[in-house]
Amino acid sequence: MRVLIFSWEYPPRIVGKLAHYVNNLAKELVKRKIGVYVVTFHDYLTGCRREANNIITCRVSNPVRTHIGVLTWVLTLNQEVERIAAEVYYNSKRQISLIDVQDWHFIPAAVTIKKAFNIPFIYSVESIEEHRSHGANSPFNLSIKSIEWLGTFESCRIIVKSEWMKNEIIRFYNVPTEKIVVIQPKSQEWIGRILQIYNEATKDVGGYI
Amino acid sequence: MGRTLRVVMFSWEYPPRVVGGISPHVYYLSKSLAKNSVDVYVVTCDFPGAPSREIVDGVHVLRIDSYKNPAPDFATWIYLMNMNMRKEAAALIRSLNGEVDILHAHDWLVASATIGLKHIFRIPLIATIHSTEFGRRNGIHTDYERMIHETERWLTYEAWKVVCCSNYMISHVAWVFGVPSDKLVMIPNGVNIADFQISFNKEEFRRRYALPEEKLVLFVGRLVYEKGAQVLVEAIPKVLSKVNAKFVIVGDGYMRNPLLKRVHEMGLTHKVLFTGFVDDWTLKRLYNCADVCVVPSLYEPFGITALEAMASKAPLVVSDTGGLSEIVEHDHSGVKVYVNNSDSLAWGITRILLDPAHAETLKENAFQKVMREYDWNGISVRLRQLYSLVHEEYLRGSWKPK
Repeated sequence: MRVLIFSWEYPPRIVGKLAHYVNNLAKELVKRKIGVYVVTFHDYLTGCRREANNIITCRVSNPVRTHIGVLTWVLTLNQEVERIAAEVYYNSKRQISLIDVQDWHFIPAAVTIKKAFNIPFIYSVESIEEHRSHGANSPFNLSIKSIEWLGTFESCRIIVKSEWMKNEIIRFYNVPTEKIVVIQPKSQEWIGRILQIYNEATKDVGGYI
Repeated sequence: MGRTLRVVMFSWEYPPRVVGGISPHVYYLSKSLAKNSVDVYVVTCDFPGAPSREIVDGVHVLRIDSYKNPAPDFATWIYLMNMNMRKEAAALIRSLNGEVDILHAHDWLVASATIGLKHIFRIPLIATIHSTEFGRRNGIHTDYERMIHETERWLTYEAWKVVCCSNYMISHVAWVFGVPSDKLVMIPNGVNIADFQISFNKEEFRRRYALPEEKLVLFVGRLVYEKGAQVLVEAIPKVLSKVNAKFVIVGDGYMRNPLLKRVHEMGLTHKVLFTGFVDDWTLKRLYNCADVCVVPSLYEPFGITALEAMASKAPLVVSDTGGLSEIVEHDHSGVKVYVNNSDSLAWGITRILLDPAHAETLKENAFQKVMREYDWNGISVRLRQLYSLVHEEYLRGSWKPK
């Protein structure tokens, strides 16, 4: 199995706790013989390389340097994510099993790639805009929420880290309950459950692609 | 090549959605390409009442859902619209088994959609730059403008070839984005000449606008600063001191009220008629009745009204700037005057109105030129040659997917 993980933060670029989570996830997957490509942002460490731990990192920077906010920055960064993901796709004989998108930033790229190559994606939720912005509903927050909604709609599965988040996503985005999987990162069965969901997704068991 | 060349064109406007000049440009261009046996798809934004899929004059049109996401400002809306455009166009290209030879983008408004698709499907991208943020704003002054400017630069960087509609725009794009000259291709804007060949009762139509003894001076353009209607208004008394004329000003914009006020102050309200927007039917007849058509722009990347006047055999007076400088040769296919100079403009108008024989020569030469260089059919053939050239380079290279 070959998996692309999209995350806007990854060591050495650490913004919040997502970077460590994704790093840990990638390490555990590699131990279980999964080919892992982490696609992430870095301003100058760009390109694909195989790290000492056998994780392949692909870092891109933003071709548009000036921005009016995080939203336009994210929206133009997605084309570089698409470019490097396509590069991995063509260099690995078009054998990509699935994409795991961490939070909202690279949902646009995952959606385009799904439509282009019929590769399923999983939307893994660390946090949602409703909580980050404390319910603010300016056009800026609504834009981000609309991208998160697109992720819930186009993904084949949604992985959350708590029952509470599952209920929040159902409440907020009206997602059918069976589409959401709760896998607690600290639990014993964590990586086993993640792998199980990956396997189901590639076999289209969810039926949502 | 086993099958016909297939192109997917991207434009944020296509009829019935008309915001500016890109919409008619893409309409006529795609239609003429289809006539010249290119398989053309146009991906564009939706419009109330227009179907999401249809075939227009041999062109496959896909209108995407473009108002799905709330957005805080215009540029963010554009990037979000591009996200939706990428998604729907990716599904379209997949449905064609990825068998698309060229992606063609019109302006930064579709930059991120076409750049993403270029890399995902590895299809060469051609970009037409109709105007630049630098030109529209007369420089870059804010982060917002710089972001758009850099997005335009990014599009020219990602494009295999960059098309501009005038040599003026070629040199502007080369300078402002640092595009190497071998990447730049000049293919002019066109006009559908047949549309302007109409027969009707001229006297009767003309009566609605001017007295029989008045010459008819026509201005067509948005009433905004860079189109220069204010220069024409200042020239009016200077023309009237030499020849009796009526000035018909077609178009609308934020300068309409200041211009009306100025005409009133001059005591010339009986000599100037502001029509506002007019429909195509009326516009074509106005061109055909005009004794002179004036294009006094201060900034003009191309100057499509000049072509429309030439196709209608209306003698032309243009300011010597931008694309207009190339379309008109002074005293051969029209009269050129100094930019933003009402004395010079009055001189040009009077020269044509007082010398009908000269006017006759100018409009005949202009008509020959428009037939020779600005007919959509000829233009689409030039573009098809560019498509083929890029396609052949692509086939020889190693970027194409294995």
